[in-house]
Amino acid sequence: MRRTVLKSLLATAILSATAGLPAARAADKEIVIGGSIPMSGVFAFAGIGIHAGIQDYVKMVNAAGGIAGHTLRYVPEDSAYKVDQSVAAFKKITSQNKVNFYYGDSTAFSKTINPELDRAGSMIMSGASFATELNDPKKYPYQFVAGPDYTQQFGILLRYIAQQKPGAKVAFVHSDTEFGRDPIETSRGVAKALGLDVAIEIMTPPGAVDVSTEIAKLRRARPDFTIFHGYILGPIPEFIGQARQMGLDTQFMGTFWTMDNSTVMQMGELAEGFMGVMPYNYYYDQSAPAPMLDKIRAMRPEYQNVPYIQGFLSAMLYAESARRTLAAGKEMSAANLKAALNSIENFDTGGLIGVPVTLRGNTIPVGRIYRADTKARRMVPASDWIVLE
Amino acid sequence: MSLEFDWLFLAEIMLAGLGAGGLYALTGLAFVMIYKATRVVNLAIGEMLMIGAYLCFGLATAMNLPMWLAILVAVIGSGGAGALLERVAIRPMLGESPIAVFMVTVGLASILVGVVELIWTSEPRRLPEFMPATPVMIGEAFVPSKVFYGFLVAAVLIGVALAVFRFWRGGVALRATASDQQAAYSMGIDVPKVFSLSWTVAAMIAAIAGVIVGAVGGISSTMGVFGLSVLVVVIVGGLDSVLGALVAGLLIGVVESLAGGFLGGEYKLLATFLILIVVLLVRPYGLFGTHEIERL
Repeated sequence: MRRTVLKSLLATAILSATAGLPAARAADKEIVIGGSIPMSGVFAFAGIGIHAGIQDYVKMVNAAGGIAGHTLRYVPEDSAYKVDQSVAAFKKITSQNKVNFYYGDSTAFSKTINPELDRAGSMIMSGASFATELNDPKKYPYQFVAGPDYTQQFGILLRYIAQQKPGAKVAFVHSDTEFGRDPIETSRGVAKALGLDVAIEIMTPPGAVDVSTEIAKLRRARPDFTIFHGYILGPIPEFIGQARQMGLDTQFMGTFWTMDNSTVMQMGELAEGFMGVMPYNYYYDQSAPAPMLDKIRAMRPEYQNVPYIQGFLSAMLYAESARRTLAAGKEMSAANLKAALNSIENFDTGGLIGVPVTLRGNTIPVGRIYRADTKARRMVPASDWIVLE
Repeated sequence: MSLEFDWLFLAEIMLAGLGAGGLYALTGLAFVMIYKATRVVNLAIGEMLMIGAYLCFGLATAMNLPMWLAILVAVIGSGGAGALLERVAIRPMLGESPIAVFMVTVGLASILVGVVELIWTSEPRRLPEFMPATPVMIGEAFVPSKVFYGFLVAAVLIGVALAVFRFWRGGVALRATASDQQAAYSMGIDVPKVFSLSWTVAAMIAAIAGVIVGAVGGISSTMGVFGLSVLVVVIVGGLDSVLGALVAGLLIGVVESLAGGFLGGEYKLLATFLILIVVLLVRPYGLFGTHEIERL
């Protein structure tokens, strides 16, 4: 037994030693994207989309000849949306590959791994988190968010509200989670500055089933607009259903993770007129020329969710910063990659986002308000693209 | 809001609390049923509730059954699943230490979540609407229709369960088994059958609770956490007391609702666990639980 183990160890060692040379050479010409992707667990619906998005973009770039002679290689691991498993995946991927870019699956992971990124100094990271906290280039020098952070998403909604109905009464309804609390404090000030009145803030415990108490409160505050945050689907339909039953006339709105087409349409008739902020064009958008969306639709004829678009765009931004770094003849270090990323101005995403984008701080503060059309079973634009300065 | 106390608001949140409490009590009943007969602390109760809701969802959407039939088939199917779980996972553990059986139910919970994620993915979903949408007004107080009808169903089922325990032979056998297994055996009661029966009925009750909880809050692979609140309910009420589950369910529902209404959502769980601690300090066997005396 022992001898066979030794033998196989020896064989592996010889194999890797002989294979090492060409492999190393190939690796020199490679750009590696690692990823802790939630392919299973509660966030799998997003993870599967993200995974497909990154994969497709990598395939596209490689088919077109790669980036300055480098091929992109995507190395994902399932994180099950658990921080410990995400970190284990990170360790495994970064120890076996020379990783330049990394996709993380959660705010908790982004925060946990940050010192590691600083120490490594060799890769930059984005991920599924839109946490406001990450939008601090001093604290998170090697991370970015491929869209607006949650406060900016609220900012876009509030700006739209102020335009539609100056001085409107607004309610914030959010879950008692890190995700849910994220933009509340900061958005209070934003609302005030826009002349809006935050009539009530309602916090629901995580996993709350019945929200009648909260709805009784909402009804008394009589807001013109109600913004949900920190949920995916439940308990939003219950809020809308009960509010309609009692004749409460308020416009309900949501943020990114609620706003996928399939999520909103799950609400059935209650979805009619539901609005929210989305930084990207939906898969089916035909309102403006979008060569990237055309390519995506050609590759995948069936609907792809917004996490797919987010993954796709993330890979596009990775590729763009690699391209800029290589073009400048610089080393692919975290600092250079991040500097290249931050040099992105008026960048054309091929229609993934309807306007040219500029990275500010660690985010892309842009979005558009959409409204659910339940007859067409689609989200239709309700505003122009709103870019925060 | 005016300085005057808003009595209508108080009434509305009390009613909302009773509604939520009804669901706690109903799920608590499923828990008590199993504990009473088999002395198994079933941590998978929330997941059994989830399976019931998903079965109903699958039957109503993928197989296009009308909702009433979907519910019926889901409840019967869940009963079957409950019997199967008992036979495969619980009965082999007979005579093992309670903590080992407890851990088996933890494992069961995990497996059930996996099954749901495999078949239906982890995407949150909605059950088709099947309750009347017109709200119910009690006096001037608004009660959401789902909460009202959910409460009615829970109340009826709990009433039936209380009657069954009291008058039906099977119910009496169950109580006999609960109070003394050996004696029950010697009186000719088929104890394994009682075990099986209790898991079947509990799974069916859990499925009904699951359908109501799902109709109110939507269904997802994480809806099993509802079972955790129920665990608090049955500990407060007494693990082996149906009446305890009823009273504690309503009590915790109302207290949570009051805390949420007057203090804010973040105080709901705080209130619940405060009650738990106080009850455990004063009556460690729960409000209505059997006070077991162990003499060494």
